[in-house]
Amino acid sequence: MKRNYSGCAVCNSTWGNVWAEVEGERMFFCCDICATQFRRLVDRVKTETGWSTLDSLEIAGDRRGRTCVAGSGDESFRCFVAFTPQGEIRIFEKLAR
Amino acid sequence: MTSCPACLRPLGQGDLPALAAHLVEEAEESDPAHVRWLNQNLTREKTTAAELVPMLERVYDLGSGTLKGWIKARFIAKFYGPVPHPFVTALQHPSRATLLGYVVEHQHFLRQWVRSCAYIMARTDEPKVILYELDNLNTEYGGAGPTRVAHYELLLRMGESLGLDRTRVLTTPPLPSTREGIEGWNRIATHQHWVAALAAMHSLELIANRNLVDDGASVHYFDPAILDSKEITDAATNFLREGYEADVTHSDEALDLVNEFGSRPDLRDEVQSTFLRSIDLFDDYLLARLQRAADFEA
Repeated sequence: MKRNYSGCAVCNSTWGNVWAEVEGERMFFCCDICATQFRRLVDRVKTETGWSTLDSLEIAGDRRGRTCVAGSGDESFRCFVAFTPQGEIRIFEKLAR
Repeated sequence: MTSCPACLRPLGQGDLPALAAHLVEEAEESDPAHVRWLNQNLTREKTTAAELVPMLERVYDLGSGTLKGWIKARFIAKFYGPVPHPFVTALQHPSRATLLGYVVEHQHFLRQWVRSCAYIMARTDEPKVILYELDNLNTEYGGAGPTRVAHYELLLRMGESLGLDRTRVLTTPPLPSTREGIEGWNRIATHQHWVAALAAMHSLELIANRNLVDDGASVHYFDPAILDSKEITDAATNFLREGYEADVTHSDEALDLVNEFGSRPDLRDEVQSTFLRSIDLFDDYLLARLQRAADFEA
């Protein structure tokens, strides 16, 4: 899956040392909470779009809320997401393209 | 004694190199609290302990100011910056759901509040600190007859005015962030120096201090216009107005006491670290109010 961050897939931090498999790919996260957030986000995007896989996921923003652009084939999907401190989705809003 | 601002582990007095080494070690283990603290307060980029030391020095440095001023500035930066905390944003013109989320989670907070303040009283020998806490506890929890109804009772009445029975409020368990906050503040009150506990608890009353905008806060806790409109119930007005009027003196008086008793070199960095831990707990706790509010959204 193509991503815009070289550090943690959610927050781009390079601290920590969590490696977790998401969508068949081993990814780096700074902590378990970010790994949980990323998995929840991917699952939610797939549920909203009906896609079976994601080819790309770009994330911008901070812990207060992140804007995401997901891609699969020729299609794209934009959303805003915010999480609880435990990594559950607190807000998920579909955004216009 | 320096404590870690992420876990309050005691380290040597003024020993920022030891704190830096501890943070790096915990981050290597991917501990979320330590990684979060590094990410939000120092840098997202993994560095050595030696490189962290000057960053820590900048965080803990009071400059030419006071401990009180340092606490206020950090509090404003965290909750009242250009983008305020999401709960503050929601409270500007609150929905019924936002106020009910406030009621359900805050009654847990206030019950811990009593314990924390009681521990401070039990552990200090300073009469003016004891008198301050007695007054605070009467305002927040005890009340003083029908003309001075306690903040806790006003909270429950606000819930009732919005259709939420107090029995349901009192029997609803706290959300995880509220529970973690309560556990954290209990630990602070029982394990940290009483001045550090005083700073940790009463700095939180800055959230409703209406004078904070004079110190750079981007907004008030809520739009004061709602107190004179029919936007919220009378009971909600009474609850919000009480905090709006009480918390200026509550927070300012407490921070004056922190300044007086906590500025000693052997205490100051423990006060600072404990305050930093407390505002992280509070940040998460305020999100729990919003999380609970979602239960009441139509």
